[in-house]
Amino acid sequence: MAAHAITMDDAAYAEQRDIRLLGFLFFLISDSVFFGSLIFAYLYLRNSVPIWPPPGIERPDVYLAAVNSVVLFGSGVTMHFAMEGMRRSHMRRFVGFMLSTIVLGALFVGGQVLEYVKLLPVDKWAGSTFGASFYTLTGMHGFHVSVGVVFLITVLVQTLRGTYTKDRHFGLTAATLYWHFVDIIWVALFFLFYIY
Amino acid sequence: MELHLLERIFAGIASIVVGAFALAGLVGEWKKTGLDDHVTKVMMVLLTIGCVLVILVAAGLIGRV
Amino acid sequence: MSVADLQRAHPASHIHPAPQGFISKYIFSLDHKVIAVQYFITSGLFFVLAGLLAELVRVQLTQPHNNFLDAATFNEAFTVHGSAMVWLVAIPVLTGGFGNLIMPLQIGARDVAFPWLNMLSFWLFPPAGILLFGSFLLGAPQAGWTEYPPVSVLASPGTSMWCAAIFLIGISSTITGLNFLVTIIKMRAPGMTWTRMPLFVWASAVTAFLNFIATANLSISLAVLFIQRTFHVPFYDPVHGGSPVLWQHMFWFYSHPAVYIMILPAFGIVSEILPTMVRRPIFGYKAIAYSSVAITLVSFMVWAHHMFTSGLAQWIQLPFMIMTMAVAIPTGVKVFSWVATLWGGRIRFTTPLLFVLGFLSTFTLGGITGVFLGSVPADVHEHGTYFIVAHLHYVLFGGSIFGLFAGLYYWWPKMTGRMLDETLGKFHFWLMFVSFNATFFPMHWLGLLGMPRRVATYDPAFHGTNLFVSISAFVLGASMLIFAYNALRSARRGKPAGPNPWGGRTLEWMIPSPPPYYNFKELPVVLSGPYDYGKPLPYLNVDPAIMQLADAPAY
Repeated sequence: MAAHAITMDDAAYAEQRDIRLLGFLFFLISDSVFFGSLIFAYLYLRNSVPIWPPPGIERPDVYLAAVNSVVLFGSGVTMHFAMEGMRRSHMRRFVGFMLSTIVLGALFVGGQVLEYVKLLPVDKWAGSTFGASFYTLTGMHGFHVSVGVVFLITVLVQTLRGTYTKDRHFGLTAATLYWHFVDIIWVALFFLFYIY
Repeated sequence: MELHLLERIFAGIASIVVGAFALAGLVGEWKKTGLDDHVTKVMMVLLTIGCVLVILVAAGLIGRV
Repeated sequence: MSVADLQRAHPASHIHPAPQGFISKYIFSLDHKVIAVQYFITSGLFFVLAGLLAELVRVQLTQPHNNFLDAATFNEAFTVHGSAMVWLVAIPVLTGGFGNLIMPLQIGARDVAFPWLNMLSFWLFPPAGILLFGSFLLGAPQAGWTEYPPVSVLASPGTSMWCAAIFLIGISSTITGLNFLVTIIKMRAPGMTWTRMPLFVWASAVTAFLNFIATANLSISLAVLFIQRTFHVPFYDPVHGGSPVLWQHMFWFYSHPAVYIMILPAFGIVSEILPTMVRRPIFGYKAIAYSSVAITLVSFMVWAHHMFTSGLAQWIQLPFMIMTMAVAIPTGVKVFSWVATLWGGRIRFTTPLLFVLGFLSTFTLGGITGVFLGSVPADVHEHGTYFIVAHLHYVLFGGSIFGLFAGLYYWWPKMTGRMLDETLGKFHFWLMFVSFNATFFPMHWLGLLGMPRRVATYDPAFHGTNLFVSISAFVLGASMLIFAYNALRSARRGKPAGPNPWGGRTLEWMIPSPPPYYNFKELPVVLSGPYDYGKPLPYLNVDPAIMQLADAPAY
């Protein structure tokens, strides 16, 4: 859409944007069902045993995860301000906040890798229901974040090429919503694995 | 462990800062009426709740150590 | 909002240039009508293959201790039969086939919201089918279309291919569901409010919702089964704390809404054919529309009625039993509305209407046995027996397949521009209806007497009935050949249909048959609902010569 968005007249663009926004929101809802399903499986497995985690399992480091979480939440805030920059045509602000978001997002993925490197020698993926649920859920989330980082880089490059402007930037809107979505899934996972 | 203390301090302070900016952004968004704006507001609220969770964890009040 | 406001140029009213070249027109087409035909052809092929597997099963069951198929091959046959019929036939043909063909026309749109995604949805389908049938090469899955662990975890290398196949088709359905719901919400013609939409569009909307919400859950269940099998990640394995019942919960949370994905479009088709063939307004438009929404919502609350014998605690079984009884109520509302539409009308017994009557009788019977099965004490006795096989075929074959043929005979002229032969159609219907009942009705008492399902051998006391069922099943299979012949004959020398051979009033009948690639020259403006027989047609910007045909049907 980006390529010929510039050539559409205003009414046609507004209509297309509405349609695409609804489609993207439905996609996010469907993605939520993916996570909901796995969360159900985790809670079911957890509630079917008296002791959690199962014997022999080392708990992941909650303070590392707390740092990682605030990095990700911070990236959500910088994303919001990047969007504000685009809306007001402050391009330098936009680029600065986008880069910050990308860096913070990449740091989060790095932090997760670190978490895995520390945990995997003791807690194997196939070794217990803890490993099964923890790695599958956080792995699925980490995959979503990685894809999100690629999405953000793409939007940044497109903007520098002039595709997105103050009035026509649906791709950026979609990326922002996706990034916030990934953030709030993490709120749920942080709660479910490190607090509950 | 020393590292843990550093992590707790960093996480605690950073999440207060992030939470504050999130609330500021939320206040700015509050009046907007588009569908994407409403969704953004909900997500920002949840993000702020996430920051609160991190603050509580950093303070040692919740969280499985 | 005045009529003039509605008529003002709609942003979507421009016509894009025609597709050029064979590949763009027929292979990688973005046109919803071409994609629909692609779905029809592909699911038609899988219908034949899955049907042949059923016939092989019936050959084995002509005798109590037959050697036609060994036990493993028998298991593979019924497993792939069920999987293919659900995921490669019923779901694609009703949603991808009829949904694609008719829904955009009925809302007065030029195409769906995301034509490229529509094309992608289709092209995920043939690879999925190849993977599913290809599983025979490695040892097809044997645990039935429900693939319960531990058998699905431990046996049959082909089960991983089954997982991949259904995962692909799941992605296809999810994208289609999203696509269709956005289309219906955002792209209806000016003036078409929700309560002026044809009932097939209501059915498409609720089915689309189920498609993109429920199917995501299936995709995860399959992915987890795959990683369990490949990497031994213990979700379903009790040795490491997992649970086979977890699979059942995850699988049935999707698969119960899935059965509604397979029937709601058929309900929509019936609601379209009845007013046209009876020449009067449909009885209870709002009741039918809102009951579809009710069915959709309640369908998420009944899944554990498939698990009454899996060791669930009683306090869980009871609410599911009550909700299962409840979900029958909105369907009952529809059946009563359809019967009321027929009552006192001037019925034209054309082939589409005959298939509708076949649908009504068989689906209702299947629905009644469903209510029996919803009761826990009855289900404990009948679960895993031929009573279930009877029930499921009465609702799925009686419902979805009779509905499919009703729609096919009804909309064939619109799709191809030619009529199917009425005499052959009636012959097809009667042979299919009689042989269907002869095949599946006796299964009710086979089940009640205790014959288990999914068995290659059985107690000789059941021999006579099984032989009768098998012979009837061969006739049922043969009856499809009549349709195949009719279809080929129609292509060569079928009577030209014209825009509106049946005298329908919905928008698809207001354009030529087959429709031009852009559907409508100018987007129609809709002034009221489509079923008010006796009143003038409520459309503007529609060809007046075509509009007149609604009052003078050729058939």
